[in-house]
Amino acid sequence: MAREFKLPDVGEGVAEGELVRWLVDEGDTVTEDQPVAEVETDKAQVEVPAPVNGTVRTLHWDEGDIVPVGDLFVTFDVEGEAPEPADDEEATEDEGESDEAAASATSEASGRTFAPPSVRKLARELGVDLDSVEGTGPSGRVTEGDVRAAAEGGEEAAEPASESKSATQRVSGDEPASAGGAAGGQEAAGREKTLAAPATRGVARELGVDINDVPAVEQREGEAFVTAEAVQAYAEGGQAAQGEAAAGGPDREFAEGGETTQPYRGIRRTIGEAMAESKYTAPHVTHHDTAVIDNLVKTRAKLKARAEAEDVKLTYMPFVMKAVVAALKEFPILNSELREAEDEIAVKQDYNIGVAVATDAGLMVPVVKHVDQKSMLEIADDMNELVAKARDRSISREEMQGGTFSITNFGAIGGEYATPIINYPETAILGLGAIDERPVAEDGEVRAAKTLPLSLSIDHRVVDGAEAAQFTNRVMEYLSDPELLLLE
Amino acid sequence: MVVGDISTGTEVAIVGAGPGGYVAAIRAGQLGLDVTLVEKDAYGGTCLNYGCIPSKAMITASDVAHEAGSAEEMGVYADPEVDVAEMVDWKDGVVDQLTGGVEKLCKANGVNLVEGRAEFAGGDKLRVVHGGDGQGSETIEYEHAVVSTGSRPIEVPGFEFDGEHVIDSRQALAMDDLPESIVVVGAGYIGMELSTVFAKLGVDVTVVEMLDDMLPQYGEALTRPVRKRAEELGIDVHYGLAADSWEESGDGIVVAAEDEDGDTTEFETDKVLVAVGRQPVTDTLNLEAVGLEPNDDGRLETDHEGRTDVENVFAIGDVAPGPMLAHKASKEGQVVAEVIAGEPAAMDYQAVPAAVFTDPEIATVGLTEDEAAEQGFEPAVGKFPFNASGRALTTGESDGFVQVVADEESGFILGAQIVGPEASELIAEFGLAVEMGATLEDVASTIHTHPTLAEASMEAAEHALGHAIHTLNR
Repeated sequence: MAREFKLPDVGEGVAEGELVRWLVDEGDTVTEDQPVAEVETDKAQVEVPAPVNGTVRTLHWDEGDIVPVGDLFVTFDVEGEAPEPADDEEATEDEGESDEAAASATSEASGRTFAPPSVRKLARELGVDLDSVEGTGPSGRVTEGDVRAAAEGGEEAAEPASESKSATQRVSGDEPASAGGAAGGQEAAGREKTLAAPATRGVARELGVDINDVPAVEQREGEAFVTAEAVQAYAEGGQAAQGEAAAGGPDREFAEGGETTQPYRGIRRTIGEAMAESKYTAPHVTHHDTAVIDNLVKTRAKLKARAEAEDVKLTYMPFVMKAVVAALKEFPILNSELREAEDEIAVKQDYNIGVAVATDAGLMVPVVKHVDQKSMLEIADDMNELVAKARDRSISREEMQGGTFSITNFGAIGGEYATPIINYPETAILGLGAIDERPVAEDGEVRAAKTLPLSLSIDHRVVDGAEAAQFTNRVMEYLSDPELLLLE
Repeated sequence: MVVGDISTGTEVAIVGAGPGGYVAAIRAGQLGLDVTLVEKDAYGGTCLNYGCIPSKAMITASDVAHEAGSAEEMGVYADPEVDVAEMVDWKDGVVDQLTGGVEKLCKANGVNLVEGRAEFAGGDKLRVVHGGDGQGSETIEYEHAVVSTGSRPIEVPGFEFDGEHVIDSRQALAMDDLPESIVVVGAGYIGMELSTVFAKLGVDVTVVEMLDDMLPQYGEALTRPVRKRAEELGIDVHYGLAADSWEESGDGIVVAAEDEDGDTTEFETDKVLVAVGRQPVTDTLNLEAVGLEPNDDGRLETDHEGRTDVENVFAIGDVAPGPMLAHKASKEGQVVAEVIAGEPAAMDYQAVPAAVFTDPEIATVGLTEDEAAEQGFEPAVGKFPFNASGRALTTGESDGFVQVVADEESGFILGAQIVGPEASELIAEFGLAVEMGATLEDVASTIHTHPTLAEASMEAAEHALGHAIHTLNR
């Protein structure tokens, strides 16, 4: 018997996921819980397991597609039951649905959406499909507010599948060879072997072009040879073609000189929404100061070798985290969350420090849990592992949740001061500038000292400027004199 | 009245001024549309003139007479004398008041009223033939047409209505004097309502039903109090008999009915009332001219906006699919008027309530327990008997019960079935509950006036939740 497998809610309440790749082919035998696909949701990449033992009959989507949760994903032939003839599609579907009707929640099974007549009318007026609205009223009844919210967030919600599919193809920087090649009238050459200078290969990688797809400039030693210019031309051909394709759409106006668009969705959109929520909710104040850290530099240099012996890469971050936690214990109000609806400020007992990480897909903030209970090496080890997971997108949602205070190390790329945005609903975030030699005036003299610029943003509803300054002073004290951390 | 053939134009032409058509006309008028309403007979249609309203008037009048004469238990001794002609006059007065009101409302909303029988003439035109000789005809060019021609009683072969011996429900409600006996063919809601009226007025009533149950769509539990009451009233009900033929015999007639084995039973009676159902009226419309054809039920298929297969032709009420009920027709009338005016209206109701004005009344809305289970719900059912209701006992009518069906998990109320006093009024609360997506908790937590019959609805909801006060929670 066939089992129609719909894409489950792979995160918490996510509406869709991007099918990154299939891990099985049609006809493959699978066992229950064997991963069949990798799907990327708003913040994490997950593996979707097979629900049954059997064989894969149909994979219903292509890699790169955005698949709405609840849409038919894979059809399996369940083991031990004779597969039905493939042309018996309709019967198969019917059966799958009735099976599911029996199994799933009653209200869904009946397909009825509960909403008062006034709300149903409003939905028609606003062009909202009532069945797609998630009700927040008693027992899940759809309210007026639900319909209005759906209407406002509606543009992309309205036609998720078709809209997003084309949008994804437009920006598929990962495989412009196929997208650009086809659209631009340039055939992807698709060779197995290509001769090119290392610099040319670098250009190809930079532009996301598969060098084997670039039309050959000439033959050398019987093999295709490609230049950097050829790679560039091929990439541009693709881009121009994308521009044309986009311009072909109705009522789109492009700035002179052209523009390319990319969809605002997925991780980018999640980041954007989180930033907007934080900045528009919490009045930010950023306090700046500079820690003189000659001693820390020496200490770290000394400990680094020891850490390496234990296979741990020791950066400055664990020291900052330790210093922050020590200071938070003294000023716990910075380790808090304002719950406006409940008229209360929750001061956290845990010291879970989020570390902002720039990844290819965008900003992520993995959380090192219980920093106060861990040794410097444990912190370093945990953090390194989480950062690596964030970079290769294997990090789980849980590993990015539960933070009580965050640190962002923009100085790793450069710069001194910034105005970090709080990782809401946390109350404070510490930004680290680049550690460098800077002039420091001491006892009437200017000397070159290793310094670390600090930028502490606080939610001024909860924390006042004086507390921010005192907290920063304490952090600086620990960083200037790291031996103090031995007491922690 | 205009003589000769003239031509007018209108934005909305509505054919039939029953509870579907006149409501559509008034709403369209309210929305600023130019509306023409064509009626061949009487404003208000069957419902106001020959159906719902006059039958309810006669039911009430016969109840008064019957109750007055059968209240010895309460210490009331009376032997009411009934003048049926006066009773019918009173009923006609009620009907006139209502139909006059409909005409006035139409005019007040700018509806052009045209008398005559309309048929499609092709090219977005209706031809209206005026009644009477030499009245001529008229052509109405429309942008949108609404078909609301309603239904007529089904004739049983061999029982053509003659108004004297073989009558339909309309004629039954307009008698000058009562027969001594009557045979009613059909134990559906019309047959049973009228049988009850006649029995209460002292007529010897025999019901002949082809199927083996009374009001079969409602099920055994709901109809049991009605069957019991019919028996008490002396109504003689025969199941499994098909009326076959009749012939005059002396002062009266003899009706022959056949069972499935071909055995014939004969009934001597004064009159035979045929009430076996109603059929949609589409044959007078010349539908071919507009390219429409009725389905196998004789109805015009419509979409969720009431639109037929022809873009600018709508159908509502008994000629459209669904139960033949005035309130359903009215709702559809409102929806199509709004759709024509460009508003985002649709037939999005969850349930159409229905009532049978037998003794006691039966009323339902939404899903039964079985239907809920079929649709994939886990039904939770609560029931409250009227013999546990203080108010019911004080009216002397304590047969029956209120039953509510909800979704076990969410508590959403899916339907209700009531048999008992004022069931037709009580069902409205559950109609609102079903449309609102109200839960058992919502109804159970609402304070209901004491002492009233409506408390039974609250108790039924509490019963479904397992904590009714005045009945055992099993």
